Amino acid sequence: MSTYYLGIDIGSVGGKAVIIDDSGKIMTSSVVPSGTNYSTTATMLKEDVLSGAGLKPADIKASGSTGTGGRNVVADSYHGVIVCNARGVNLIFPAARTIVDIGGQGSQLIDIDENGQVINFNASEICATGSARLLQLVARILQLNIKDLGPLSLKSMHPSSFSTSCTVFLETEVITRIAQGDKPEDIVAGIHHSIADKVSALTRGVSIRPEVAVIGGGALDIGLVQSIEEKLGLKVLVPQNPRVIAALGAALIARDRSG
Amino acid sequence: MPGMDNLTSHLYFAGIDIGSTMSKAAVVDAESRMLAYVVGPTGAEHRLYANKLMEDILRKAGLTLSDIAYIISTGYGRVNVPFADKQITELTCHAKGVAALFPEVKTAIDIGGQDAKVLKIKNGRLVDFLTNDKCAAGTGRFLEVTAETLGLELDEMGRISLQTDSPVKINSLCTIFAQQEIISRLSEGELLPDILAGVYIAIATRVVKLARQLKVEMPVVFTGGVAKNAGMVKAMEAVLGVPVLVPQEPLITGCLGAAILARDEAFKKVQRGEYEAHRDKKLTEARIDFGEKSR
Repeated sequence: MSTYYLGIDIGSVGGKAVIIDDSGKIMTSSVVPSGTNYSTTATMLKEDVLSGAGLKPADIKASGSTGTGGRNVVADSYHGVIVCNARGVNLIFPAARTIVDIGGQGSQLIDIDENGQVINFNASEICATGSARLLQLVARILQLNIKDLGPLSLKSMHPSSFSTSCTVFLETEVITRIAQGDKPEDIVAGIHHSIADKVSALTRGVSIRPEVAVIGGGALDIGLVQSIEEKLGLKVLVPQNPRVIAALGAALIARDRSG
Repeated sequence: MPGMDNLTSHLYFAGIDIGSTMSKAAVVDAESRMLAYVVGPTGAEHRLYANKLMEDILRKAGLTLSDIAYIISTGYGRVNVPFADKQITELTCHAKGVAALFPEVKTAIDIGGQDAKVLKIKNGRLVDFLTNDKCAAGTGRFLEVTAETLGLELDEMGRISLQTDSPVKINSLCTIFAQQEIISRLSEGELLPDILAGVYIAIATRVVKLARQLKVEMPVVFTGGVAKNAGMVKAMEAVLGVPVLVPQEPLITGCLGAAILARDEAFKKVQRGEYEAHRDKKLTEARIDFGEKSR
């Protein structure tokens, strides 16, 4: 009979959970808003993935938590999100040596070895421009669904250029660009460049070694991923479900600890 | 220089500072004494209307354009003053204006609508500076966004914040995330005065971090629109740990400096014999060319 492991990641914006089997294969996953009561969110996530995988609580041999709110979660172990990201990416892309994580409140760059151990990392300060938050704001101004930003931006021939890197000022500048007649695809592509610039500023602390994996909510935006590729000058890998990588890492660590 | 007094004593000089949020103008006489100043919002299209600002200041000073020997424009929108004789950066003008009001000044901290500047001044001259124009945190914009979030007026926020000596710590540096934090602090039952006092401490902390890179030396002068806010002045003193001097009208140091520099410039021209007594000047509207977007 096989055994299962649960990983829960309560981030600043989203709560994620995965259930893996002994081999590390993701049986099911769930993403919900983190909300304000993290332990309630964690309970909800747990019920969600258990029913998704058709399992009972007793089938879970061990659990691990991570993320901003991960300490509020009842689990067998807690580990920092950087360590969990490293473990998760290592399982999916064993060749990855650099991780770019674009999360809800900032971005980080993680340098890992062939075993998924963290060598070095550089995290941005909490800043909306280096995060998926800016995408949300721009989607709102342009009255678009955030999911449509990426595909739309690929049509851009002349990305808008922005004079500021602060989301607060960018909001004003986006409106000015609209008034000047810039096309939505050009504005979105320009915003992607702004985020990619902010992310690439992190390379002053951490060197980029191929393969590079992009994870976090920002990785769902194909246009942003392409901007990052352009900025770093190389192709990157994006996992199928880039938001649950830290939860996967937490589950893997729980599995290894339960021996 | 003989004869110079006669030539210049009846002349006046103007400085115009078109800031990101507010526009200001001042007129000085040959002794650098300020005759009048005006302050008004820059606004989206108002930056076209430096000429209107000039008309206002002339009216207030009881002068006509022909009385003004030299005009210097400064600030973010200084290129939009077509009738200015010269443009000078706001750093130079601020230093000049602050030193005119406080001759002993060593450190000047200016927080405007979209930026913050720290100036080191020695014997009335600018010797070093740092600016923050990349991030809304630590600028007046942070306060504006907060006022909008809370549905309060800017000066109201300042007054409310003075009711407390136990500010709440605002952890988010980013203006966007700080708004979320303010809302959740309120819902956690923290008191509004404590939260507001925390907001001012957060901005002051950001700017003082910049100032410390240049070493803060007393006397410290605090200027810019944000210095009008009593809550902000209190927070600035608390974070710096030293008292700050605030001009009666903290917005006008830039335009005052520009006016004094206009006077100096005109005197130089007179000395070189290049000054034209009869100028054919007109107050024209700025023509802003939004241009092609950069490709």
